[in-house]
Amino acid sequence: MVLFSLFLVMMILTSLSMGYIQIPLIDIVSIITEKIFGFSFSSGGINETFSTVIFDVRLPRILTCAAVGAALAVSGVLFQGILLNPLADPYTLGVSAGAAFGASFAILLNLGMALVSVPLFAFTGASITLFVVIFLSYSSKNPMAGLSSNNLILSGIIVAAILSAGISFLKFVANEQVSVIIFWLMGSFASKTWADFSIILIFLFSGTIISMFYARDLNLISLGAKSATSLGVDLKKITLILLVTGSMLAAICVSVSGIIGFVGLLIPHMIRLVSGPDNRKLIPLSMLAGAILLLLADTITRAVLPHEIPIGVLTALTGGPVFCWIFKKNRMKY
Amino acid sequence: MTSIILENISFSYGAKPTIKQISCQFGSGNFYSILGPNGSGKTTLLDLISGFLKPDIGQIKIDGTDILTLSKNQLAKKIALVSQDYAINFPYLVKDVVLMGRHPFIPRFSQPSHKDYDITESVMENCGIAHLKDKKINELSGGEKQRCVFARALCQDTPILLLDEAFSNMDIRHTLQMLNIVKRAVKEKNRVVISVFHDLNIASAWSDAVLMLKNGKIKTFGETLDVFTHETIQDVFNVESIVEFNAHVNAKQIYYPSI
Repeated sequence: MVLFSLFLVMMILTSLSMGYIQIPLIDIVSIITEKIFGFSFSSGGINETFSTVIFDVRLPRILTCAAVGAALAVSGVLFQGILLNPLADPYTLGVSAGAAFGASFAILLNLGMALVSVPLFAFTGASITLFVVIFLSYSSKNPMAGLSSNNLILSGIIVAAILSAGISFLKFVANEQVSVIIFWLMGSFASKTWADFSIILIFLFSGTIISMFYARDLNLISLGAKSATSLGVDLKKITLILLVTGSMLAAICVSVSGIIGFVGLLIPHMIRLVSGPDNRKLIPLSMLAGAILLLLADTITRAVLPHEIPIGVLTALTGGPVFCWIFKKNRMKY
Repeated sequence: MTSIILENISFSYGAKPTIKQISCQFGSGNFYSILGPNGSGKTTLLDLISGFLKPDIGQIKIDGTDILTLSKNQLAKKIALVSQDYAINFPYLVKDVVLMGRHPFIPRFSQPSHKDYDITESVMENCGIAHLKDKKINELSGGEKQRCVFARALCQDTPILLLDEAFSNMDIRHTLQMLNIVKRAVKEKNRVVISVFHDLNIASAWSDAVLMLKNGKIKTFGETLDVFTHETIQDVFNVESIVEFNAHVNAKQIYYPSI
């Protein structure tokens, strides 16, 4: 845990230094300490350009990216736990499709001018989708059938299928706007602001606290509905709380940065191999690992590759094969 | 003294009722068996008693309190359940799964106490799974998993234990070992055990009283020796049988003549 945190801090510093303008690490440290503590330990004066680049451009982007990675990973842990399926991810319930539909709609209506609208529409789309999915799978009578993993997954797939047809239709109607929609869907951290970061941070913070609060109950849920209930877990209540928490985390991520796949699936899976399935360890570790991995990916597209490619594409292109490898390796055990 | 009283319980999953107006009473120091053909409502009846399902009509009282007024945690300190479904998808270690039985007694965010660990250790020893404790639960065989889940329920150390075909995948040695543990708890600690069986002979040998269900109704409920007769078995299961007292088992045994 300490190791992961140290690694994350190092990763943030390194990626701050990388980019079109290379900034030496020592300058970064002195700029940041100057800003926070009000004194500078470097002898020379601080380069104004460096300071602007760091505080207005790179730091908000880097922190947003780390927070999104963390939120997606926590959300992934929650979904895998509730759906009793190590292969579930934050988008299993169609939250991403809902957000994408909302965003496409906003772009089509040209609401993009007022900067907030696209994320706002995406978030609304995601939330509505979640409640439709929960409504579809909810049954007041039988706790086994209501909100069971199969019901949730099925409703998610149905709703997502309808929405993706809807997105196709919007793209068809959109004419010249279609490239904006497509680009948005692929995800990017370009030109993220402190405002984006603070919104994500609030969600990440509250989401993680809620998840940690119910982490032990989530462990028991993996024993199956009846066993968990007989051990004193209020199954319906906790499933609902964690489902909403996980989906809100995913929704805010999608609204801020578009659809970034595989982080929520891969990270909990990889960490579980190291830490074991206990959610009390899995949640914080996945959070840190998610931040590190997504930041690494973003730094690669931003500073290493000659052209910035959409981060959603990069994570899927690299995460996919890694997942295949882990999956194949572990197939033998099941 | 523990008592479970069912008052005029009815329950249906859909339009067709599964449990029809059942009233009965279970008291401490007794091992009860529930027998009946497939789909007769045995598991549903256990689910109702454990509070997993809520009856449409009627009340279930434990020591005079309606179970719907108890919190899930209070209920978990009174009733433990070994369900038919013992599949676990995640690679938890056996000792962690067994320790989960102490969940109702461990406050949120605190570590298990020495007592919790001691109980877990001794239960694993008794159930013969101590050698498996550092193995992953999803890599065990069906019978081994079932023993782990059984051990978890024993760790809950509750006055009432419900067993839903809890022995279905165990070999005969482990079945007898588990039955012995449970029977001793019934007699020495005055516990209540209610178990669903398919094997009439084991039910007859181990139970103090037997309840037979058919189509969601009680066909017969009474002392084991009185319940097992050729006529009742014919009536409930629709099979021909020979029922006679066996001195080795000190109980009635049932034989099925070949057709």
